Amino acid sequence: MRFEPRDLIENNVSPGHPLAELGTLVAGLALVGLALLFTAWLAVEGAVRFLPASLEQRAFGVAAGAFAVPSDARGAALDAVLGRLARHWEGHGYALRLGVVDEEDLPNAFALPGGHVLVTSALLDQAGSENELAFVLAHELGHVEARDPLRALGRGLLVALALAALGGTDGSAIVGSAATLGELAFSREQERAADRFALALVAAEYGHVAGASDFLARLPDARPAGGAERAVSWLATHPRSADRVAELDALAAAAGYPTTGALTPLAPEIRGG
Amino acid sequence: MVEALVQLGVPLFLLVLGYVAGSIAEQNHYKSIRVRELRFRRMPTTNLRRPPVHWRIESVALVAGSTVVSVDYFKRFLAQLRGLVGGRVRAYESLLDRARREAMLRMKEEAAQRGFDAVINVRLESTNIAAPLRNDKGTAGVEVLAFGTALKLARA
Amino acid sequence: MILSNTEEVPGRAIREFYGVVTGSTVRSKHFGKDLLAGLKNLVGGELKGYTELLSEARQEAVERMVEQAKALGANAVVNVRFATSSVAQGAAELFAYGTAVRVD
Repeated sequence: MRFEPRDLIENNVSPGHPLAELGTLVAGLALVGLALLFTAWLAVEGAVRFLPASLEQRAFGVAAGAFAVPSDARGAALDAVLGRLARHWEGHGYALRLGVVDEEDLPNAFALPGGHVLVTSALLDQAGSENELAFVLAHELGHVEARDPLRALGRGLLVALALAALGGTDGSAIVGSAATLGELAFSREQERAADRFALALVAAEYGHVAGASDFLARLPDARPAGGAERAVSWLATHPRSADRVAELDALAAAAGYPTTGALTPLAPEIRGG
Repeated sequence: MVEALVQLGVPLFLLVLGYVAGSIAEQNHYKSIRVRELRFRRMPTTNLRRPPVHWRIESVALVAGSTVVSVDYFKRFLAQLRGLVGGRVRAYESLLDRARREAMLRMKEEAAQRGFDAVINVRLESTNIAAPLRNDKGTAGVEVLAFGTALKLARA
Repeated sequence: MILSNTEEVPGRAIREFYGVVTGSTVRSKHFGKDLLAGLKNLVGGELKGYTELLSEARQEAVERMVEQAKALGANAVVNVRFATSSVAQGAAELFAYGTAVRVD
């Protein structure tokens, strides 16, 4: 047995450039991811369409018992306003409930699954007129009508499931950001639809839409924006208030709603109740 | 949601950094490996237990060489993507190839340094060094150990 | 190419030896296999998916080792050994090594 020196070949690394491999993997996974998201979206849309309001009410009624519907004069006055608005929403099948959250600083309103609407006490304190409050309530009713809260719940669940199934790899941070960015488009469209619905309801109840955009006009981002702000606004979940005010005016003009009229004062029980 | 952009931007930056720094390190390592392999091409190495019968052996010793090669962020990310799809993890193949060749070279270097002429009964072991304490259950690096019996031969 | 995990090829003498040849590969399972394996963890039994994966990997590692031996002009690889290690979550490295020789 003799030793014969020879040179080894390098064959223990598969051929291929790492960047090319990264490209194909990312492209492939992105396609699969998009397909999954699309099927998930379809599933949520389908489920939402088939879930009748009464079932939704029953399913989420228990959870909503968590927040208090004020049983005092304030609650009665709020229910009256809501009731008058909801009269113009034909055949909605919800037993609407309006709750008040104790929040001194932030005026805000939310729509929850099951036909529940929440407002903060700050909103009630700062509202200038009943028309303004009515618009905000009608906007939330618009979300309920479009089943937006259900959709958001369904999508959120599916995304969480998918991420959990993927086992929380490092890539999940990236997937999460992509999911957020994707969601934003939906939200803005939903907001616009809710605004349109709200204008219709307010016009039907009061005969005009004056005072509807007062709440938005008071928000800090209602000033005209510079270039950088406009760029960032594309990323925001809600369209900028200045844009929304402008759009409301445009919608009102297009639908022919009168934009001037007497503002109904807010019932005293509602403010600072 | 500038936060979403930042959340995307930081990993992307780390990926680019990992890729650039990682490939530079890898290229340099391979260059060094090739040069040294040429130097040692005349040193017989085998994983047989018995040396050729005609060799006259003066002395023996245990020699070993080991190295730990670390994974860069880019390779780790690529491996995780592969973990979803399956198949050859090319990024880790190059890592292990380098580690193994480096370990063998160090073993030969130790043998040469101590005046030996050949190494027999070479064995290779590799272990994964886990990333300690961090959230990602990934690899911090791979250790490869090469060891064998070095022989000093009695002839020119 | 003759492969053997003995020191010599039985019945044949080794004329020349060239050195240690290695073949290695790193393979990863895919997401679906992972799920199935997770389920198997409940009931026990052979993880067929992983068995297949590792046996394919071993075949490839041996093929690469044989390629190296061929390039050296050998016609046999003796004293073949295998080693497996886990290099990343869900990826296994398999390598085979032996001595490339020329037998009668």
